[in-house]
Amino acid sequence: MKKRSAAVAVFAAAALVLSGCSAAQTESGEHTITFMGWGSDTEIAVFNDMIAQYEDAYPDVKVDYITVPAADFQTKLQTMIASNKTPDVFYLAPENVMPFASSGIVADLSDYVDNNELFDPANVWQKAIDMYRYDGTTPGKGAVYGLPKDIGPFALAYNKDLFDAAGVTAPDPESPWTWDEFVAAAKKLTSGTGDDKVYGSAPYSLESAVWSNGGDWLNADHTEVTVTDPKFTEALQWVADLSLKEGVVPTSEEESSLPSFQRFMDGKVAMMGVGPWNQGGFWADATFNWDLMPWPVSPATGERAVWYGGIGFGVANSSKDKEDASNLAAFLAFNEDAQRTNMEQGQAVPNLIDMAKSEYLTSDKAPANKEEFIRIIEDYGRRATQTYTYNSEWFGLFNSNLASVWTGEQTAEEYAASVTDEMQQMLDDGIAEQTK
Amino acid sequence: MTTMTTRRTQNMRRRERFWGLLFVTPIGLQVVLFCIVPIGIAVVAGFTNWNVIKGTYDFIGLDNFFEFLTDKYFWIAAGNTVFMLIPIPFYLFFGILFAIGSHRGTPGNRVFRILFFLPYISSVVALVVMWKWLFNYQYGLVNQLLAGVGIQGPDWLGDPDWIKTTIVVMIVWKMIGITSIYVLAALKNIPEVYYEAARLDGASPIRMFFQITLPMLSPAIFFLTIVGIIGSLQTFVEVQLFTSDGGRNYSAATVTYYIWQKAFVSNELGLAFATAIFFALVILGITLIQFRLSRRWVYGGE
Repeated sequence: MKKRSAAVAVFAAAALVLSGCSAAQTESGEHTITFMGWGSDTEIAVFNDMIAQYEDAYPDVKVDYITVPAADFQTKLQTMIASNKTPDVFYLAPENVMPFASSGIVADLSDYVDNNELFDPANVWQKAIDMYRYDGTTPGKGAVYGLPKDIGPFALAYNKDLFDAAGVTAPDPESPWTWDEFVAAAKKLTSGTGDDKVYGSAPYSLESAVWSNGGDWLNADHTEVTVTDPKFTEALQWVADLSLKEGVVPTSEEESSLPSFQRFMDGKVAMMGVGPWNQGGFWADATFNWDLMPWPVSPATGERAVWYGGIGFGVANSSKDKEDASNLAAFLAFNEDAQRTNMEQGQAVPNLIDMAKSEYLTSDKAPANKEEFIRIIEDYGRRATQTYTYNSEWFGLFNSNLASVWTGEQTAEEYAASVTDEMQQMLDDGIAEQTK
Repeated sequence: MTTMTTRRTQNMRRRERFWGLLFVTPIGLQVVLFCIVPIGIAVVAGFTNWNVIKGTYDFIGLDNFFEFLTDKYFWIAAGNTVFMLIPIPFYLFFGILFAIGSHRGTPGNRVFRILFFLPYISSVVALVVMWKWLFNYQYGLVNQLLAGVGIQGPDWLGDPDWIKTTIVVMIVWKMIGITSIYVLAALKNIPEVYYEAARLDGASPIRMFFQITLPMLSPAIFFLTIVGIIGSLQTFVEVQLFTSDGGRNYSAATVTYYIWQKAFVSNELGLAFATAIFFALVILGITLIQFRLSRRWVYGGE
């Protein structure tokens, strides 16, 4: 018995050694770098195309493109990091910049950005690159750890046909509606019952409401939870009341039955927040005319506000071919043809400022007011608050029972009071983790 | 002469041992590489604060155990996990019912068997997608039917009071098939002579069921209970698919979900391992208690 288990152990050890050996690399001439991401089928096809172009431009490099379903990406990436098999290039979410940079997983690309042959950093949206900066304490500043795949400004779209039918005129891009004007318009646009019900608006962007009202989830240096601030709770209550009191937004049960996106596509919702990634779908499937308008403003500040998101390409610090990997990231991020393809498919606003301001703005496809996307990027868009903290557990907690405000079980004030202490605790834990 | 024979026997034995070892090697490797080594790593890591992203760890003794035992979300998850035991008696009952029904040559019994078994072999993902539509608040078949008889159905998937019920109903439905197959196999093993003898003695069908069928089925039922409890305690996929974050207020999260979340969302692998070890011991304990109790009701042969 004893001997047998010894033999098994020897076999096991041998197998381990063998599997270790197979990971050895060939160093001569041609080499392979791995790139991991996710995407829709069209997006993957575009990437395959771009990778082929990259391989033509750099003939001694082969790219191994791994696609993972979006939902599994983070788990897979972490497993690969833990087993020291980090892909050379991978999708880097802005909220991962801090933990990944401080633990040396992603390479510092600052030098590369300043001295490279593929793009001119001055021609790239400042905010798009800033999402991947981190100086060790504050995100958005310091060294660059990623190149933007795209930047996603969240704009307010409206169904022109429904507006015309209800006799509502959209505001001029230069002078946004106030909240009251927005509610009045939404009431006019709401009509019908049952399956014919048309709602004035989709659930309103909480970020836009809170920020425009002068509130925020956290204080300016992101160390204190501020959701009990009246500026915050007022905005939260206003958003909830759009459904609860005014009845111009689907209830939370209706929203979970049929998301507003679908209702908007069916012509059953008149206004909805959208990103550039929605354009392609609208071009293909929308049977109505649509355009963008500026986000309505709170009487408290009169300022427009909304978030922009995005995803970037990170380069593994452990990569053996950092130069090639950085070139691939830059190629995917800024190659003109690739940017044009993305733009023409309605997936994104180009990362290249000159292309965005010429080809994109002058294209005759909807929306007519493409300027709004650009304005959000250049002017009033903000990074989501939770991307400024080491982890976003506090934000997850805030959202975990937010539905009780949407359903009216709790007022905004009651809810904020019930979660604020625990949010603060989680935020403190995150800060402790960051400085450890 | 005798030494020759001994040597030959020794040779033969050696050769036999060699081949024997060779045959057990694949499964042995599997056990070592995929069971013993990972369990060993998990047990060690449970006492560290291993952070995957940072790649750092220190031994911190029992801190992880204190952490989750004092975490209110762990206890919410534990409560939900106990809730997931509810399906077991239901699918056992219906499983036995269907098995008996299709055992006695009911017309179309093969078709029924296939129909009942189908959910078990279908992908959980596909099932959840289907159930999400069935239980959709506004457009789901269930609420439409309820509306037909004048009842406004609840928000099955969003309401924290209902989401667990939805999952329970789905597990019952999914498990009936496999349960009835096991019971059916056990039924077929009951010698017909018992029933003949009972009939000669003038026993009623009900008496025969309780005196012969049920006791003879008890080993199968015992097995299904053990497997069922372990399976229920490990409920995970349904939770993850029905809710993206464990449900409003963590209302659907189970312990396994909690472990997964700690490991892959919060990056606290040490804590996740500690919870997993603790949970594995709890399951082991429950199973041992069941074996102890089983002596009272499981029929073990003559």
